[in-house]
Amino acid sequence: MMITGHSVRIGALLSLVILGGCKNYPDVIKPGPKQVAQHGFRGVGMETNYDPDDIAKTAAYNQAPKPLPPAPPGPPGQYRNVQVLTNISAAEFGRTMTAMSAWVAGGPGNCAYCHNTANFASDSTAKGELLYTKLTARMMLRMTRRINSDYTRHVGGTGVTCYTCHRGQPLPNGIWFYSDQNQILRHYLDRDDIRVQSHSVEPLPGAAANRTSIRQTYNTYALMATQSKALGVNCTYCHNSRAWTSWEESTPKRVVAMYGASMLRDLNMNYLNPLQPVYPRSRLGEHGDAPKAQCITCHNGVYKPLYGAKMVSDYPALWGAAGWDATAGPLDATGKPLFDGAPLTEPGVTPSGAKMSAAPTTATAPAVEVAMGVTPVSAMPAVTTVPARPTP
Amino acid sequence: MAMMSFEYKYRVRGGTLLGGDLFDFWIGPFYVGFFGVVAAFAAILGTVLCVYGAAIGPTWNLWQINIAPPDLSYGLRLAPLRDGGLWQIITMCATVSFVAWVGRQAEISRKLGMGYHVPFAYSVAVFAYISLVIIRPVLLGGWGHGFPYGILSHLDWVSNVGYQFQHFHYNPAHMLAITFFFTNNLALAMHGSLILSVTAPPKGEAVKTSEHENSFFRDAVGYSIGAIGIHRLGLFLALNAGFWSAVCILLSGPFWTRGWQDWWNWWLYLPIWTQR
Repeated sequence: MMITGHSVRIGALLSLVILGGCKNYPDVIKPGPKQVAQHGFRGVGMETNYDPDDIAKTAAYNQAPKPLPPAPPGPPGQYRNVQVLTNISAAEFGRTMTAMSAWVAGGPGNCAYCHNTANFASDSTAKGELLYTKLTARMMLRMTRRINSDYTRHVGGTGVTCYTCHRGQPLPNGIWFYSDQNQILRHYLDRDDIRVQSHSVEPLPGAAANRTSIRQTYNTYALMATQSKALGVNCTYCHNSRAWTSWEESTPKRVVAMYGASMLRDLNMNYLNPLQPVYPRSRLGEHGDAPKAQCITCHNGVYKPLYGAKMVSDYPALWGAAGWDATAGPLDATGKPLFDGAPLTEPGVTPSGAKMSAAPTTATAPAVEVAMGVTPVSAMPAVTTVPARPTP
Repeated sequence: MAMMSFEYKYRVRGGTLLGGDLFDFWIGPFYVGFFGVVAAFAAILGTVLCVYGAAIGPTWNLWQINIAPPDLSYGLRLAPLRDGGLWQIITMCATVSFVAWVGRQAEISRKLGMGYHVPFAYSVAVFAYISLVIIRPVLLGGWGHGFPYGILSHLDWVSNVGYQFQHFHYNPAHMLAITFFFTNNLALAMHGSLILSVTAPPKGEAVKTSEHENSFFRDAVGYSIGAIGIHRLGLFLALNAGFWSAVCILLSGPFWTRGWQDWWNWWLYLPIWTQR
């Protein structure tokens, strides 16, 4: 039997017709220059790979909006039914409300998304229905302050604002619900810890039981893949794959990621799940549970949300520690204010002391720095409006 | 060194590809030729440089000696000797030596009037090596993408580069290469056992014939590929194993930067599903 050139041509044409008929057909091959960042000793192979097209799309989506003009200092506002933002000036209060409307409700003046405009203090509509958006927003403010004050080992001096997740939309990216399918997120970002380790071989009863299985291992693998995708990195960003479990041979990023996983469990269990009774049915999952967060909800494809832009330093109402009136926010280990608006710096050093370096770039050179932890502001388009949410 | 009775008549001058009469002679059983001199020179120099690299390195532990390529920041430029320059020279020595060895095989084939199957087959292995240390680094724009020379260090590199693409088993070319490796193993095991079963009979019994070989496989699976056919198949399987190995690493990075499991998303976009 011979495969003639004629039949090969017909086959190729047929494939093109079939593939051409598909909308949004994913890339199967991407020629052209690539950008690779090295983050290990030379020759170890710990590198992240980027296609400039992908970086351009991610960068466009991850611009922090310009901060609102600062509010003048003053005494706390005399509002009724304020439960979280009790310690900021009236002007800062109003400024924070305006920012939240733009970050979450699609525009700066959309007060009615959360409030009964006839009675701003009320938690219910004129008809007496519960304003679930307002109750949710209140819980989210608590959550934001909790993250910025108690999870500095994950968010560092970058911090989070509503915009970190919401991006101008009421529903953030990557929210998830319980389902009947094998669900890795439910296992690891809700109640259970990540570790798949056993110190015994025998199936002992109780806590010492060896519960490790291929399925568990694959669950962990899948969780790791979702983390990689959420941050736009790969396994070698945190691990030296020659010894996965060894903290000594891992990069410092792995510690940050571990705190992130425990933070997510706290947020999902103590802030997002408890909102379940507040939501209308349309906001709940098929099992009737509240929407929950995962890595991509904040990270949106970038190793640091919004490339580490310290948005929160402009919004003292979200700092979540003593001095919410902007006199003094949470402090770092050296006693300096965390959210001081200083430019983000990151020592480009790996645990072994090897200098980080980047591949020579052929196009849009600063994008490699993006991967390395420095935001090349010059390389990014100025975004003044809230970017549209991409279709998933 | 023992020599076959017919060998002398093939030890004639001529048939060289390069160098003419220069080095057109034998040393003991070994044909020298221009390519033999080049291969020996490059191999010895490269080996000496490896030993030198070990000498200026932190260890003489054979497992841990590591001669690593330069940092990616050097791009495709030359690096200082201790910062990867040694790796660059050793890579050049190895490439020259391997290619010269192909040339030497070709010259011997010409002198014997044989086909070029052996140098062709060997050149697939050389292609796989050159893919790793020259073609892929050039495509990605940095010598630092080559693999380090060291027993454990090159294994660490293989592991980490695989995990740069999260799950390398989803690399379609890697799937092909592995399938060819395993099938090659199967074919060699079947062929080897078959040949031994007919050529090594118990004492006092006659050696069996190729008809026995054919009959065995016809009885067993209904088909015998035949004496020439099994060698064609073996060569095909072996060369494809090496070739697709080279392809699978050339795709990773220069043509694909995400996890390989993501590559299979095209399956979800085929127009055979009711949604989308």
